[in-house]
Amino acid sequence: MSALHAWRAARVTPLGELYTPPRMTAALLRLTVQIVLVTSLWRGLYAHTGTTAGLTREQAVTYAVMAVLSTRVRELDQYSGRDTVLQHVHFGTIVYWYLRPLPPQRYYALRALGEQLYGFAWALAAYAVCLAAGAVQPPASAAVAAVSGLSLVLGQWIFYYLILVIDQVCFWTMRNDAAVQILLFAQNLLSGVYAPLWFFPDWFVTASGFLPFQATLSVPLSLYVGRVPLSDAGFHLAVQAGWIVFLALFTRLLWRKAALRVVSQGG
Amino acid sequence: MPLNAVRIVWRVTRLNFRAQLEYRAEFLTMIAIGAVWQVSVIVFATVLLTRFTGMGGWDSRDVLLIPATRMLAHGLFVLFLGRMHGLGRQIQEGRVDAYLLRPMPVHRQAQLEYFPTNAIGDLTVAAALMAGALSRSDLDWTAGRISYLIAAVLGGMLLEAALFTAVACASLRFPAADYWGRWLEQLLGTFGSYPLNVLPRAVGGFLTYGLPLAFVAYFPAAFLTGHGHDTGVPYWLAALSPLLGLLAYLGSRLLWRWSLGHYTGVNG
Repeated sequence: MSALHAWRAARVTPLGELYTPPRMTAALLRLTVQIVLVTSLWRGLYAHTGTTAGLTREQAVTYAVMAVLSTRVRELDQYSGRDTVLQHVHFGTIVYWYLRPLPPQRYYALRALGEQLYGFAWALAAYAVCLAAGAVQPPASAAVAAVSGLSLVLGQWIFYYLILVIDQVCFWTMRNDAAVQILLFAQNLLSGVYAPLWFFPDWFVTASGFLPFQATLSVPLSLYVGRVPLSDAGFHLAVQAGWIVFLALFTRLLWRKAALRVVSQGG
Repeated sequence: MPLNAVRIVWRVTRLNFRAQLEYRAEFLTMIAIGAVWQVSVIVFATVLLTRFTGMGGWDSRDVLLIPATRMLAHGLFVLFLGRMHGLGRQIQEGRVDAYLLRPMPVHRQAQLEYFPTNAIGDLTVAAALMAGALSRSDLDWTAGRISYLIAAVLGGMLLEAALFTAVACASLRFPAADYWGRWLEQLLGTFGSYPLNVLPRAVGGFLTYGLPLAFVAYFPAAFLTGHGHDTGVPYWLAALSPLLGLLAYLGSRLLWRWSLGHYTGVNG
């Protein structure tokens, strides 16, 4: 029975898209155009250049396409379903999260899991197509595939915590639009969505090493394309695991403090 | 607009600005957002432009004019006409229905919804990059060229406004159309800063005739720097980009009028 409850919580947001075919069509069209554009851009950039920043043309194109696929993993729209934490806090419905026989943090986690699994299915299907079309190079070996896959999972886990922290801010500030945009900007720039971090100045790469963002995407993708050799994988996986532990403890603390701020309306 | 309308717009704008000041942390953060968003474009463009010299046949001194023009156009768009972006939320929350009851055009009310604090950061960074691009340029900045550059920035602003107004029109019927608005913003930010002849012809064609972001900055910059013949479109078409921006905006306003006339309320 608990499995059934978990399933229902997990599928909440994906249902919002599955019930609206136009959104699925839009997502498919957007993903396709995005991949074509990114592939064309990077091939064009490398037209007169050999290896630069330690990346060959094939590596750079693979990295860029995989970055697009990764952003698809968490792109579902909670707002239309009026299920963002911000909306719940504004409308007072956040109190229901605390009245259910399910801890708010577990509901939040299950919902996020459902979103990520749904997004991952999209990304995996698109990956298979890109692999067949030659837009993405296959991993150099089974070991690289396994290690970069593990790193991707850890990266998404870190990203989940980053989003959670931003949502938890709503319990104190009542507004998080600015914080959300700052986070998404930092995430996209520092994790290498815009361009592989290897193209940036050394001081930039070093500085981002102290932040969690590069651990969400740059590390797994760099492992995949071979820019980070397998021999260094242990260290990077350990860093990712460290961020997960730290963020897990930090968000647990915030959940506990957030609960103290929830008051039934009229209370 | 009649004088009274101008006065009302000015008063509402001042009120909105003071409303933004009520939450100082949010106010400063929104300014920072505009700045960091533009900085991300600068970082992306300049990092890649320096890594891949000679892309599309452009000299590194001239190529910065493309992102500079686009970002200035974007900053002005955000400041004056940006509230069309994200209108889907107001439609979904039923606020557009309230707008219909007031003695002021719906479009104007939408634009007066809030003060775009992030535009302050947008324009600050954009102006800095434009100053940098002009100082690096070896062009002779005659009155004619400067006038054309100003027209290009305004044309780019109007073209961007036209695109987002079209998305807003779609939102009047399908609130989920906001999805396309966010993607449009992402595309403009990512691909609006490059010489598009670095792309295959088909893709460049898509960004010219399908999603016409080439007219925002690439064509005007190409015309100014003498690359007008390498753009993949007729020379005269690239040169007329600012005018096309104006025409596109007028067209989008006609579409808006038509769409509003067919609006059936938040629940159909």
